Amino acid sequence: MTKSKIISADEAVAEIQDGARVALGGWIFNSQPMALVRALIRKGARDLHLIPAPGSIAPDMLIGAGCAASTVCVFISFEQFGLAPHFRREAENGTLKVHDLDGPGIAGGLRAGICDLPYMPVPDLGTDLPKFAPEHYWPLPSKPGERKMLAVAAIKADVCLLHAQQADEYGNVQHLGPPFFDAMLAQVSRRVIVSVDRIVSTETIRKSNHLTKLPSVMVHAVVEAPFGAHPTASPSMYRSDETYLKEYVRSSGNSESFSGYLDRYVRKSSQSAYLDVIGGSRLASLAVSESNLA
Amino acid sequence: MSSKPSLGETLAVLLARDIADGEKVIIGTNSDIQLAACNLARRMQAPRLWWISGPGGMVNPTRDHLLSTADFENVESAEAWMDLPVMIDFIDWQIHFFDFAILSALQVDRFGNINTVVVGDQRRPRVRGPGTVGISALCGLAKRYYVCLTRHDRSAFVPRVDFLCGPGHMEGGDSRERMGLPPGGPKLVLSPLGVFDFAPGSKAMRVKSISPGVTIEQIRDATAFDLVVEGTLPTSVMPTDEELTLLRKYVDRRGVLRRKFP
Repeated sequence: MTKSKIISADEAVAEIQDGARVALGGWIFNSQPMALVRALIRKGARDLHLIPAPGSIAPDMLIGAGCAASTVCVFISFEQFGLAPHFRREAENGTLKVHDLDGPGIAGGLRAGICDLPYMPVPDLGTDLPKFAPEHYWPLPSKPGERKMLAVAAIKADVCLLHAQQADEYGNVQHLGPPFFDAMLAQVSRRVIVSVDRIVSTETIRKSNHLTKLPSVMVHAVVEAPFGAHPTASPSMYRSDETYLKEYVRSSGNSESFSGYLDRYVRKSSQSAYLDVIGGSRLASLAVSESNLA
Repeated sequence: MSSKPSLGETLAVLLARDIADGEKVIIGTNSDIQLAACNLARRMQAPRLWWISGPGGMVNPTRDHLLSTADFENVESAEAWMDLPVMIDFIDWQIHFFDFAILSALQVDRFGNINTVVVGDQRRPRVRGPGTVGISALCGLAKRYYVCLTRHDRSAFVPRVDFLCGPGHMEGGDSRERMGLPPGGPKLVLSPLGVFDFAPGSKAMRVKSISPGVTIEQIRDATAFDLVVEGTLPTSVMPTDEELTLLRKYVDRRGVLRRKFP
């Protein structure tokens, strides 16, 4: 009999060592693995090297809580709410090492990582990226008349944190919306931890198996975390919480207010206590999206 | 009937007019004006425009109101959403798959290179921006691109970008070709003060038309390099009543552009 992979968020992150390379899934304000991020901050992780897919609050909160030594930056943005507050401050202070990568840099790097290749060729687009991240980009030889190419280094991670909508206890993970870079990140990671809004039966998984983007063989731990992506959206389950995101940006204004924020929502909390603080009526209103009325 | 167009509405209309039927277009995140331009063009001269949003992978969503392109609820009104690992191939490697991209930036320079990474030194920036994402590949590999800025000052219009992440005409002249990039580069830069193109030969930014009520002196004062100015400069043709009606009725019913970019 296959063993259940369901464990708690705190158990799931317990084995993540200080200094680990941590990949973060989702996309901007979608499916940021926030329940897992909050658990990682509670644990007091240090010196992490972040590899976020284009993201927002997941890398930003880890940086703000002092968990990260460096981050890859393909895109870290708070969109209509401005620049990512902690990412911005730590980078401007010179206290966070930032490896800027472009789309080809992460796409090619992940492809190389998945295929056990040392690098992948990408077009040389004449940018300043290789100058500031020579460890990621170097020129490849080309003959006259041939397209100029760069090599981008393979990207690998020790652990990958993802959020999806549902999974069975064996780790068959289903996305009820775009999976973005999640499957690619999982394939380059030694250990894959996925939080899901709900656990479903294997019969339910089999009925719509076209939704299984991560088969159980790719997944090491499943964490049941309703609203686990809050304050970002979990496609087809709930939308992002704009009021909360604004509050986050406000409380990130100085270290005292952010420390208060972390105490209230993260350090002295758990996922269920967190949801109680957010409040049932607020969560219910987020869950009434056009998607799940269809 | 219509009240005066807001800045966001004007930019969306000016962009929409430049789109041809049947073209393939990509826009990025935080792209209300760009999204409005695409859907307005589909209501006007370009009903067979094929546009895709980089973040959502959604193709031709047809909401009558503007939602963030990073919002999955936009996906529901799309005719397709494409898996990112599939999109990557034609965004990051393929030459001229896209007819054009519409981008924004922290800085744009004299030769239309753009910067969304940092102001100042990357290791100790004065302003840390969101990063490059697909901008390098879109500027480098699409047939053309537009830069749409909602501010025009000397910190945005700079002689040389602090971090080149979107290659335009590089150092001017034929330097883009010499760099080995496919033909293309920036076609227009749109700002609150006017519309700008690039002079043939030098590939330096040139004033194409001026917004009503703005003077060329104002534009020069707000630009940290010498713009090419040739002959008498026309005034940008403001949105017509018909264009504004289409925009407000079918594209931006909730008035997002008026609220965000007054």
